[in-house]
Amino acid sequence: MDLTDTIELPTPATAADTVPVAGGLSIFDPVFLGIDEFGHPAYLPMIYRNILIGGEPGAGKSSLLNTIVGHAALCPDVRLCLLDGKQVELGLWKDAADVFVGPDMDHAIRTLRRVQTVMDNRYSFLLARRRRKIGPNDLFGQILVACDEIAYFSATAGDKKDQDLFAALLRDIVARGRAVGIIVAAATQRPSSDIIPPSLRDLFAWRFAGRCTNDVSSDIVLGHGWYARGFSSNSIDPNNQGEGYLIAEGGIPNRVKAAYMTDADIIRVADYATWTRRRSGLAAPAAKVAA
Amino acid sequence: MSKSSQRSPFGWSNRGGQVTVIEAPVARSHRRRAIISFWVTLGVVGLLAATVASYYLHPILGALLGVVLGAVLGAVVFALIAAWPVLRVFWHWLPEIVLGLAVVYGWTTLMQSTPLWGSLLIVALVVGVPAAIKPIRLRVMAWVWCLIVRHRLRLCFAAFIATNRHGSLPLILPAKPTPAGERVWVWLRPGLSLRDLEQDGQVQKLAVACWANEVRVMRANRKYAALIRLDITRREPLAHTIVSPLPDYVPTDIPANAPTSPGMPPVGLDLPDVPDQPATASTDAPRQRKPRNNTTNTTSPNGFDPSDYA
Ligand SMILES: Nc1ncnc2c1ncn2[C@@H]1O[C@H](COP(=O)(O)OP(=O)(O)O)[C@@H](O)[C@H]1O
Ligand SMILES: [Mg+2]
Repeated sequence: MDLTDTIELPTPATAADTVPVAGGLSIFDPVFLGIDEFGHPAYLPMIYRNILIGGEPGAGKSSLLNTIVGHAALCPDVRLCLLDGKQVELGLWKDAADVFVGPDMDHAIRTLRRVQTVMDNRYSFLLARRRRKIGPNDLFGQILVACDEIAYFSATAGDKKDQDLFAALLRDIVARGRAVGIIVAAATQRPSSDIIPPSLRDLFAWRFAGRCTNDVSSDIVLGHGWYARGFSSNSIDPNNQGEGYLIAEGGIPNRVKAAYMTDADIIRVADYATWTRRRSGLAAPAAKVAA
Repeated sequence: MSKSSQRSPFGWSNRGGQVTVIEAPVARSHRRRAIISFWVTLGVVGLLAATVASYYLHPILGALLGVVLGAVLGAVVFALIAAWPVLRVFWHWLPEIVLGLAVVYGWTTLMQSTPLWGSLLIVALVVGVPAAIKPIRLRVMAWVWCLIVRHRLRLCFAAFIATNRHGSLPLILPAKPTPAGERVWVWLRPGLSLRDLEQDGQVQKLAVACWANEVRVMRANRKYAALIRLDITRREPLAHTIVSPLPDYVPTDIPANAPTSPGMPPVGLDLPDVPDQPATASTDAPRQRKPRNNTTNTTSPNGFDPSDYA
């Protein structure tokens, strides 16, 4: 038996005749992010990747995070794990998510611990099968850990010990989660060293810098040295929310305008995702996990 | 700078001193290069031609012929190199010169082949139609900007980007219009690197000189460090809202029984409803507060924190 083969997901067999496969999207497809300066669509492959989103308040960070979460919600085998200290930014996905963490430090740490355990188990499993990473239609799906306003958990709520623990857990998940399909998308206003440890910030391969209040902030999000080459998200028009520099494939910041979902759009997609997930048994009702 | 160093046989020992006048050394090195080229061409071509000619002629005649040929070719090369500063200007303005010639010759041939009203009509059409149709006009303007930008960049390189000792400027390769402005490729000469363009304020100066909004520089090629790309932006192509296509994945006939979490009574939504509790050192209190992360207490006025780059 060829153990390196991917293993079919068992769930569709039971409920396939009534449940439309959610959107037919896959997290292995790149996420449509918006358009770039040339009018070309900008796609962001999220599988095996992590993204850090920065920018001043009102730069469009939460909207971008919603786009990524929306794509994942329409993927039939991606579980959502949402952390949002502000509740309303990702709250519309609450019912479609497996875990929704509001302004509750304890819950956030418990959730990250769970994700960490899943990650360890998955690696043990892969090792037992002599494999190194997961593929599409694998035995287990992917997990999107989306965190809006990391600063709330890593610098504001709880005590110093909890904040450090949160940062350490998140760093571990960002560092090791890629190969087993655990994807982290995190947004914060200014990821300086007093908000999140630089060791955590530097692990994010992909960056999106919405408008920043100064050139240094832009460099903190994108990485040191881009301002000197003329890439500063401080020059973005403050009234043009959703525009920013994206570092993805190619490694050079690309000016993009993020696609926008209105609240009605989000609710429509979220309701549909919730419905398909309940029917296919993927999503546990969010109320159950709140302790 | 001492006299002796100026008269050094290679003419480049003045690197220790400050060369404020760039013209004199550049012209001198130019003349020297032309002379050297003359002698090298004379030697190589003369020898080759002499060898070949000796097969057919008497060796002495062959050698003479070789020397004459070498001298003629050497003189041509000398003239080309000596005239290069002038030729270069023609080369830089070649698109404009060709365009100008085309206009003049086109106009005269038109005048000769059609009556005046016909020529005027054709000119009005050729000029008026692109000017009236917006996409064509924008396209033409974009190409005009490409021409302008290449001249402006050359000016910048000569004015404030450090050149090497020979005074040779980066080679400005073709430019291409982009929706935001122009994209220009540049080949850096020895003595320059991307670092020189990344120095503080350099791209801002470029933007000013190019009458642009922003200039961004980056490497254009993974193989050649000398090939760089400048993105010059003068327009804002990203002002429109992009509608996300995700709702299109939702079929129109989903059931309306939208699942919602149980509602929450409107309690504690205003200040009087929330009791005034004693503040403690431990951070239990923020659970009541609306969580906002305004904790970006910057350490220095301009927000620069060295530990961010640690
Ligand atoms: N891509 C976008 N296109 C158009 N408008 C946007 C876009 N992103 C955000 N906006 C507008 O900006 C507002 C603030 O965006 P938000 O994502 O909440 O910012 P942040 O989370 O960075 O504070 C939104 O309410 C929306 O009106
Ligand atoms: Mg937000």
